[in-house]
Parts: sequence; C-alpha cells; structure tokens
Amino acid sequence: MNTLHIAGTKSSPEILFDHTTGVLSMSGESYPENSFEFYGPVVSWLSGFLKAHNGPVTFNIHLSYLNTGSTKCMMDILDLLEEAFLAGVQVVVNWYCDEENDRAVETAEEFKEEITLPFAIIPISEAP
Amino acid sequence: MELRNLHALKETYSSEGILICFAGPFSHSIIEELGNAVKRYLEAEQMTKASLMDVFSVFIEQTQNVRNYAEQMAGAGNREMDFNSGIVVIGKNGDRYEVSSGNIVARTDIRDAVARLDTLKGLDKQGLKAAYKEQMRKEPRPGKGAGLGLIDMSRRTSQPLEYCITEIDGRYSFFSLKAIL
Repeated sequence: MNTLHIAGTKSSPEILFDHTTGVLSMSGESYPENSFEFYGPVVSWLSGFLKAHNGPVTFNIHLSYLNTGSTKCMMDILDLLEEAFLAGVQVVVNWYCDEENDRAVETAEEFKEEITLPFAIIPISEAP
Repeated sequence: MELRNLHALKETYSSEGILICFAGPFSHSIIEELGNAVKRYLEAEQMTKASLMDVFSVFIEQTQNVRNYAEQMAGAGNREMDFNSGIVVIGKNGDRYEVSSGNIVARTDIRDAVARLDTLKGLDKQGLKAAYKEQMRKEPRPGKGAGLGLIDMSRRTSQPLEYCITEIDGRYSFFSLKAIL
C-alpha cells in the first residue's frame, strides 16, 4: 500500500491519504470534468486501506466548493468511513469551512446528518 | 459578423442585463476559465459569500449539464446536431442574479427534464431537501452526472427554475433554462 497523493487543479482537490498515519486530507475545489472517474481511484484506495488498517483514522476536509457529482462521491467516501466506525475503528471527520459562508456550513451539516461517526464542523476565517 | 452590428449586440447585452455570456463549444477548460471569471466578477460585487457560491454553483451545474449531455449524445454516436454548442448567460435584473443556459436537446429527453422540473416546482424547501437526499442515495444513471443538478439548482434559487422550448425540427428543440437567485 502506498500513500495516495493527487495534486490539486482548478477544479479538483489535492488529495493526500497517508496510510502510515491514517490521516486523510482533501483541500481545494471539487468540480472535476467527471466526478466518478476522479473519485473512483480515491474510493478504491480508501476501501483497500480500511480493510488493512486497524489504527485511528482522521479525515480532514477543506473544500470551498463541491459540485453535485462530487457531493455524491463524498457521500460514498463518508459511507465507507461510517462502515469502519461501526465495525469499531476510531474515525474522526474534521470538516473545515469558511465561517462567513452559511452555505458551506449547511453543506457540511447535511453530510453530518447522514452518518453517526464523530464529525466536527470547524469554521475558519478565510481571506476573500 | 457585420462590424456595424457589434454595437447593436452590445446594446442588447446592456438592455437584457447581461454581465457575462459565452456561446460556443463547452469544454471542461472553458468551464473552469469562465467559472473563475464569474467568481472574480462577483467578488467585486456587494454580495455575501453564500450568494456568490449559489451563483457560481448554478453556473457550474448548468454548464456541466450541457457538457455531459453532449458527451452522452457523442457516446451514443449521435452526430445529427452540434450538441456541444451551447450558450450560458449570467445577468442581473434589479438586485437578482440570473443564470441561464441553452442547448439542443432531443425532444424525448426534454419531456423527461420538463417532468422533473414540474415535480420540483411543487416542492417547498423541506421537500427539495428530501428529494436531494433521496437522489443522493440512488445509484447514478449512466453518464457523468449524479442526477442532482436540477434539484441542487432549485434549492439555491428564490423561485422555481424557468424553462423555454424552441422547436428546431421534429426530433430536436433548443432547451433554455433560467435560475433566478
């Protein structure tokens, strides 16, 4: 198993999933040309990782925008983490969002409603 | 075009309240570049970050819908029309922003879209949220989309999405969609 690193672009986030520490991070914007194609390898890496990993997992998300295709893929990622959490793995989600953007906070809250694992919504101050 | 018509075109833009318009083939990089331009334009306006995100988001969903439909038709080997050639317009009417897009769509597909739009029209905020969550849990249909675009746009607008159908021939029409934010 290798660390998963995908460089960010204008329309796709930087992804850094470290299998040694269990810290998974995503940041940037997410409206790739084909969300399923972009997130497919991410979902399969995560699925393989969760089968082999027993330690704690921290998922840090800092996305200023997700289109609907990415939202659907994010739900798949969170469902995998929820499954691991229900099986006894220690999982924490830290969702960072711009404190001045109500809509971004709402998006985070709607994901949180779908799952039961510890999910912190962390408002931060962002330069305009 | 005739150079002397350029002024008239500019006047039409002004009278229609058009801020940004693109007509032609939609590629992913054009969507990215226009998206950036839209964001920068709106950042200079007096608006909240949430409203800016709503306009940007509707712009992305509309343009990606056009692009995805064109890809779907190309994938099916349909070259009868230039499906990738669309138009997207961002305008301002009073203190409301309007995001509109138009493209050529098969009349059978328009029937489906209209049925979905009419269903969404009857839903309130809670109903739209429930529809969004239900669709999010469905297996995606073939193609690139999650089937969430129209619901997402409806949730961000202040009134139901408007549409207009201009017949081209027996099989195809030009489908226009407007979101008022």
